[in-house]
Amino acid sequence: MTLPKAQVVVYPGSNCDRDALWACKYVGFDAEFIDIYSDIDADLLVLPGGFSYGDYLRVGAVAAREPIAQKIKEFVSRGGLVIGICNGFQILVEMGLLDGALLQNSNGKFICKIVDLEVVDNSTPFTSYYLKGERIRLPIAHGFGRYVKTNDVNVALRYVEDVNGSDQLIAGITNANKNVFGLMPHPERAMEKILGSDDGLRVFLSAFNYIKNNGGVRG
Amino acid sequence: MQKYTFVIDIQYKSNVRDPRGETIKRVLNEEYSIPVSSLRLGKSIHLEVEAESEEQARQLVEKACSELLVNPVTETYEVRKL
Repeated sequence: MTLPKAQVVVYPGSNCDRDALWACKYVGFDAEFIDIYSDIDADLLVLPGGFSYGDYLRVGAVAAREPIAQKIKEFVSRGGLVIGICNGFQILVEMGLLDGALLQNSNGKFICKIVDLEVVDNSTPFTSYYLKGERIRLPIAHGFGRYVKTNDVNVALRYVEDVNGSDQLIAGITNANKNVFGLMPHPERAMEKILGSDDGLRVFLSAFNYIKNNGGVRG
Repeated sequence: MQKYTFVIDIQYKSNVRDPRGETIKRVLNEEYSIPVSSLRLGKSIHLEVEAESEEQARQLVEKACSELLVNPVTETYEVRKL
């Protein structure tokens, strides 16, 4: 069997793309960068953090309307796995692939620190290597991470304490099919103990093994 | 084709917190002793559009709002012709 393949979408203004690529390779993915004009040829698609298009108008708003958006939607409907981290989460919400909205942190500040989180749902392809209710530590680095809920969503990750004013302490959600995962914390920055935490490693391991066990979606 | 100019006024919905507005209000209250009791910071977009008629121009502006400029989840908007 060929290796599961990951593609990291590099938007103008992405800045966590290399960390994301490294994290994918670290757990065994054949991984590469693509851009907004590329075709998708992957089992896992990563929308990385950063400030796509300077976050003009609204965070993620312009990136969500680029040519690759339709291809991402088609990829999702085929059952492909998509993880959006930080700005990637904001882009997924603007694309309508995840519900709700992400607004400025309630204290008006950019918050950059390691926070405690609880794994609420470990039955997703991205969280199967965690225990339900497990406490983990991941870095956050965002100015616009306050999640505003519009519908009932499947919560995958919650902050243990209020950090940015998010509804119900929501830090990460999935769509109903659980193949789209958006989260504000950065698992790709918590891959080894030397980075302060290796609690993010299992997000990528979970996805890698889900694809190995269930087969990918590549033609 | 004629040019029409519009202002789009975008505001957060009343139930959505606005930390920027809160900060500006606090500074007016505390630093300038101006008794502002409410302040909401929105966006104002001025744009010029070419169309056959004012009605068509308005339709184009509405399309711009619904496709990109406004997030209906958190924002409301008003369009005014200048």
